[in-house]
Amino acid sequence: MKEQLTAALAAEEAAIYAYGLIGVHLTQESEVKGARDSEQVHRQRRDYLVGQLANLKASAAPAPAGYQLPFAVTNRRSALKLAVHVEDGVTQAWRAVLPVTQNAQRAAALSAMTDSALRATSWRKESGTNPLTMAFPGRPS
Amino acid sequence: MPDAVRGMVLTGAVRMSDSGHTRRRILTATGAIVAATTLAGCGLFDDEPEPAPAPDPLQPVLDEALALASAYDRAIQAQADLSERLTPLAADHRAHAAELATLIGAALPSGAAAAPPAAAPAAPSLAQLRESELAAQKTATAACLAAPAERAALVGSIAACRATHASALR
Repeated sequence: MKEQLTAALAAEEAAIYAYGLIGVHLTQESEVKGARDSEQVHRQRRDYLVGQLANLKASAAPAPAGYQLPFAVTNRRSALKLAVHVEDGVTQAWRAVLPVTQNAQRAAALSAMTDSALRATSWRKESGTNPLTMAFPGRPS
Repeated sequence: MPDAVRGMVLTGAVRMSDSGHTRRRILTATGAIVAATTLAGCGLFDDEPEPAPAPDPLQPVLDEALALASAYDRAIQAQADLSERLTPLAADHRAHAAELATLIGAALPSGAAAAPPAAAPAAPSLAQLRESELAAQKTATAACLAAPAERAALVGSIAACRATHASALR
């Protein structure tokens, strides 16, 4: 379980980093607020994961200071694309937690996974991407 | 002596030391248990009808996937301009149904299911579809939480997908 939780933590930390960057390039007020709210949710989940790992007596590596982005983020369009990319990645990380957890822990993982899939969908909607959904959110492609 | 019986005898022998039973009594009792087991195993109760196997816990999730797919079909038939928006959602449900059917060894209705029968219910509105998606998300969420490890990820993806459908219909 430690391995999956550590991967989820890394994904959440990457998301927090990415939203800082995304917010800069968004212009519409609703989008800026969406990015800010998303970042907040990812911070809460990061804290949850740090706590879970502490319970397992596992120490998490510190988050890297910077990340290699999958593509250049220079405008609203690429910022929205990064938001979708990040949420898809977080969804994948949480999906891997499902089989190694039970009860309340699995419920938390599924809730986090569903939330990220929903955020990916709303960023797709903002960016005019079609289709808005995928059949198996979080399944590695 | 089969291993199972030998195991029982050993259990008896251990108990013997603190209960004070004689070895002979222990062996006799063990023999009686073996005899009873053997009789049952020989089909003494074969007249009893086999209980129907309980449906797989994922059967309701599969049923909902099929029901939702055909609900989208009816909505598209009634209003062709919804096709671009709704066809991918119907396809997601068919993909779920296919994976679930393989997983639980259920047969899927043949291609005829795509064409709704004459007595099909009226085409659902987008609001009704959204409501059905949310209800189906609940079913899949509960199924994911109850599922063994090897099924949890698939059913979790189905639950998340249903949530995103409801959101896409807003």
